[in-house]
Amino acid sequence: MIVRLTYSPEVVEKPVLAEVILKTGVPINILEAKVNAQKGELVVSIPAKGKTLEQILGFFKEAGVITQKFTQILQIDFNKCTSCGACISPCPTRALRFSLDWTLEFDEEKCVACRTCVNACPVKAIAVP
Amino acid sequence: MLVNNILTNYIIEYMEEFYSTRYLKRIGKLSHTSNIFTCLPILDGQKILEVNILSESGKTETIRTIDEINEKIRKGDAVVLTAEEMIRLVESSGVDVAAKEVDVVTSGTFGAMCSSGVFLNFGHSDPPIKMTQCWLNDVPVYKGIAAVDGYLGATVLSETLGFEYGGGHVIEDLVSGKEIQLRAESYGTDCYPRRHIETTITIDDLNQAMLLNPRNCYQRYDAATNSTDRVLYTYMGTLLPNYGNITFSGAGQLNPLCKDPNYETLGIGTRIFLGGGIGYIIGEGTQHNPITGFGTLMVKGDLKQMSSRFLRGSSFYRYGVSLYVGVGIPIPILNEKIASTTAVKDENIFVSVKDYGIPSRPDLRPSVKKVSYADLRSGKVEIKGKGVPSSSLSSYKMAVEISEVLKKWIQDGRFLLTAPVEKLPKQSVVKPLEIRKKEPKVSEIMRTNVITANPDDDVKEIAKKLVEKGIDHLPVVDGARKLEGIVTSWDLARALASDKKRLEEIMTKKVITVFQNESIDVVARKMAKHNISGVPVVDKENHVIGIVTTDDISKKLVGGRTTI
Ligand code: SF4
Ligand code: SF4
Repeated sequence: MIVRLTYSPEVVEKPVLAEVILKTGVPINILEAKVNAQKGELVVSIPAKGKTLEQILGFFKEAGVITQKFTQILQIDFNKCTSCGACISPCPTRALRFSLDWTLEFDEEKCVACRTCVNACPVKAIAVP
Repeated sequence: MLVNNILTNYIIEYMEEFYSTRYLKRIGKLSHTSNIFTCLPILDGQKILEVNILSESGKTETIRTIDEINEKIRKGDAVVLTAEEMIRLVESSGVDVAAKEVDVVTSGTFGAMCSSGVFLNFGHSDPPIKMTQCWLNDVPVYKGIAAVDGYLGATVLSETLGFEYGGGHVIEDLVSGKEIQLRAESYGTDCYPRRHIETTITIDDLNQAMLLNPRNCYQRYDAATNSTDRVLYTYMGTLLPNYGNITFSGAGQLNPLCKDPNYETLGIGTRIFLGGGIGYIIGEGTQHNPITGFGTLMVKGDLKQMSSRFLRGSSFYRYGVSLYVGVGIPIPILNEKIASTTAVKDENIFVSVKDYGIPSRPDLRPSVKKVSYADLRSGKVEIKGKGVPSSSLSSYKMAVEISEVLKKWIQDGRFLLTAPVEKLPKQSVVKPLEIRKKEPKVSEIMRTNVITANPDDDVKEIAKKLVEKGIDHLPVVDGARKLEGIVTSWDLARALASDKKRLEEIMTKKVITVFQNESIDVVARKMAKHNISGVPVVDKENHVIGIVTTDDISKKLVGGRTTI
């Protein structure tokens, strides 16, 4: 799951992310970071689902960090998509796959917004908004 | 004719792979006497094998004729199955039952087919123009034919949008009824005074729009992977480094030519599903290679009847543009043998996984592994002990849809079968392009008296040496002259400014190297790509045997070619 973490001036100095990683043992990956003395904004990928994910988000909230889930990382236009599969094997996190009837399926929780599939798609059916 | 033991074994091995022993035994074809093996000697000392699986077991007896099938289609009684359904029927009830029950099996494929394009006739303007150059949405149209005829190929790039848009996209836009910008130039003649024209057209304005594809429907196609340490962007899609993935193309068990690999029902005049409309096979395709099981088709059809669902312009990142074409072919079940081939499964259709990291022509690229379409479709193939993700470039889902649409057309009595006027050739060979003009190789220009250094050498001394000898690139080698790294004069200058002492601390360890038999063109591209001006030449064991610099290359090419 991709999450935006917004740090207020009060917490921007604290090593909140490091603490959460140590506490939970989940290797959170920073995808984007904008930090200055007043404010910090991180976009991170948290490789967790369900309860663990909620628990991690809970820790951030307790520490005063605002969390915001990215619910639409990729937009796949299924009117354009031919279910060819050209995006599937290049995806580093296996977020794309075929369903039983060979239709493309997207598992948003696994996606790290790397854009590899955007370039790999021959009919430009995938966009990162 | 030469058939020795080795060759015979090879042929059997090949056949086992293609049809699997069990399958051949079941359909009664694996007896050595009933197979005709011929071997034709061809160029560069290689042998190409003709594998002809003719059965003499009476299974070629005619069960029904095409006329009889058409009669049933007209009455609405024909039994039509898609290739997937036929596979299931043969599995559950056997070939003999399936052959008796089924009249027609429909196949389908939907993939990028670069050898595609449309013949267009624009009609005459007033005053008229003999178009010598022409563009549709800035994509050049071939104008080496009559005044207002043109051919738009699927892979031409837009002159303004490059890889984003090209011939394939114009074809899709035409079929969708979109308005297209037409621009043309001419030198003007007495009979065609106009020199310039700019207007818009739609498909309805055209007198003819004839999809005519010189090579479609490859029977099967080798899969692709990448052994190098960088991402490759190819016509086989994105190939991740270090065997990071495998891509493949082709409908496998739904592919029309795989359903009739002996070309008993296919040939000039076979009516087919093409791009959502009706088309015809007009002969074998270019590079048709029946002997090795890589047949192709040349097809044509009226673009005006087609649909953009089955003709899709496409862009392969950093490679170019193409057209996804949907083709579906009905296979009449004339005898039991044809029934058995229409039931061939992905498990029995084999291809190689080729290493696209080696910049050679396709047949010379090393094969990493033999795999079946079933292996490829499973999503994971093992290479060097590692499970490598595999995925297709052509759409199996669309191929199924095409076989279903064609089935419906036949069931509704809207599509009658035709017998070919002439069957597809079974014996043509594919020759490579010989380069008769001598191409300089690395061995001809490399310098062999290479000055090298050792990892322990002192930075200052080496810097002195470089200046004295006037060289820029210094390979760093171990005691056995094996390459360990490289330093350039620039690295040394920087090192002197800091206080690094030993060469090992400053050398680049990941060195781009070349082999002496590589062509200079390829090496020049490699250097430009990595933005370097010199490369060590190594042998297979990575011993340094020479060095090539951009200077050496430009000297060699002076008077020859001006640009590389
Ligand atoms: S953006 Fe990257 S991780 Fe997400 S689906 Fe595409 S390739 Fe996979
Ligand atoms: S590459 Fe594009 S068209 Fe093909 S399956 Fe992926 S999203 Fe769909």
